[in-house]
Amino acid sequence: MSAALPSSSLAVQRGVLGAVLLVLCWEGLARGLHLPSYVLPAVSDILAGVWSKRALLSEAAGYTLLEALVGYGLGCLVGIGLAVAITMLPVLRTVILPAATAINAVPVVGYSPLILLWFGIGVVSKMVMVAMAVSFTVFLSTLAGLDRVDRRAVDLMRSFGAGRLSILWRLRLPTALPLLLAGMRVSTVRSVIIAIITEMLGAYGGLGWVIYQAVLQIDFVQVWSAIFVASAASLSFFGLIGLLERKILFWK
Amino acid sequence: MSIGSTASLVEDKAAAGLRPGRLPGWMRKTARLLLGLAVTALLWEGSVQLFGIRPAYLPRLSAILAAMAATPRAYLDGFLRTLAETLIGFAAGGAFGVLIGIAFFRLRALREMIFPIFVVSQTIPVIAFGALVVLWFGNTLLAKAVIAFYLTFFPVTVNTLLGLETVDPKLVALMKSFGASNRQLLLRLQLPTALPHIFVALRLASSLSLVGAIVGEWFGDTTGIGVLLLQAMYTENVVALWGALLAAALLGTGFYAVVAAAERRLVFWSAEQ
Repeated sequence: MSAALPSSSLAVQRGVLGAVLLVLCWEGLARGLHLPSYVLPAVSDILAGVWSKRALLSEAAGYTLLEALVGYGLGCLVGIGLAVAITMLPVLRTVILPAATAINAVPVVGYSPLILLWFGIGVVSKMVMVAMAVSFTVFLSTLAGLDRVDRRAVDLMRSFGAGRLSILWRLRLPTALPLLLAGMRVSTVRSVIIAIITEMLGAYGGLGWVIYQAVLQIDFVQVWSAIFVASAASLSFFGLIGLLERKILFWK
Repeated sequence: MSIGSTASLVEDKAAAGLRPGRLPGWMRKTARLLLGLAVTALLWEGSVQLFGIRPAYLPRLSAILAAMAATPRAYLDGFLRTLAETLIGFAAGGAFGVLIGIAFFRLRALREMIFPIFVVSQTIPVIAFGALVVLWFGNTLLAKAVIAFYLTFFPVTVNTLLGLETVDPKLVALMKSFGASNRQLLLRLQLPTALPHIFVALRLASSLSLVGAIVGEWFGDTTGIGVLLLQAMYTENVVALWGALLAAALLGTGFYAVVAAAERRLVFWSAEQ
């Protein structure tokens, strides 16, 4: 945690300094060497591009975020549900775990052509893709968390007559929560990226579609503008879930 | 750090599921693997027949294999091309990740300045980055390798740093008191301690580099698994699509298994797994 979210003020200052230096170098390089925009547009040009295309970009970002959020929610539900099911009925483990691993053997982006054929090029195919990518990560981290429970604590609760459900609810889920939420936090960035990748193969709108169109029109300021917006969207989604995580895990 | 460390945890579980149990003798392992594959193949073939699943959703395995056998050249060429892109990107990303991890460990100021930028760089959708890389490097093997590199270096950096930080300071003090140089400290204590963490990241990176290579090929190329996937999608040829998916699965699991085997040889002392 310490490296990603530096806590001391010195670390924050250095982080800001690094970002400022990067922007200055970028701007200086692009302006000083008169780099053509297809090589590297200046940061100021990109920000101007974001502002001038704000209507288009915000609509596209909304479209992509809708796909990412719905898919993310679905994926989390499926992932957590499967992990809980396996913990409640250990018999399922021998079926679900190999199946999940086999499905995951293909890199998830490999499925996007197939999913596009099955679900069409509307929003549904992107939601399915995001859900697939998210559910696997959340499933594995939830399972790791649920399995981490101290055997003796389970035995203790059982000796007081607690059933499986109450052990799950009062012991296993709270124990699993840190890992589960960490898995959910990692998945946020992935969900936006997967939505954008799938949009590129075929969509009616969204950031991926904007990027692809801009590439075809050789409008690289717009490519970079869309990248900036996508990056900002991912970061705010990441920050939101991170904030939720700190609220829920108040004891950490 | 938060991104990488959880990813490694996740990856650990994936490995536990993927790897056959620690049975004595590689023959038993192979037999179990083959048995598992055979059962999967039978289930696939059987359920398609039994439930009458339309080939548009899931074709019979035998039909897919027959289609692959009919044009082995395209699949073989694609497989080798994607393999080359994956390997180059993986090697470059792994080496860069370890070196930068060491540099970040040694120079705290550098790390605090650059690490946040690395984190932000990972939120750039690879597809957008890919468009630029293809423009910079042309539609070459190198461009795809660069995309694979971009996806690979971050988890390796994070876990190298994480591993180096787990080194017991008392051991460092002990070695220093015997007059160990910085280099000896690094090679004999710090890197070996970090190695298990680095390998967790390398296993994750093996899958990610394949993703990078496949996505890179979507920007236009003539050979590669990604190209096969796209062509099959445009012609709505589901059988060919599944054939390309099988090739990707073979490449992905094969590469993963090689990295995991290297890990078992090099990190023989690790109690994990």
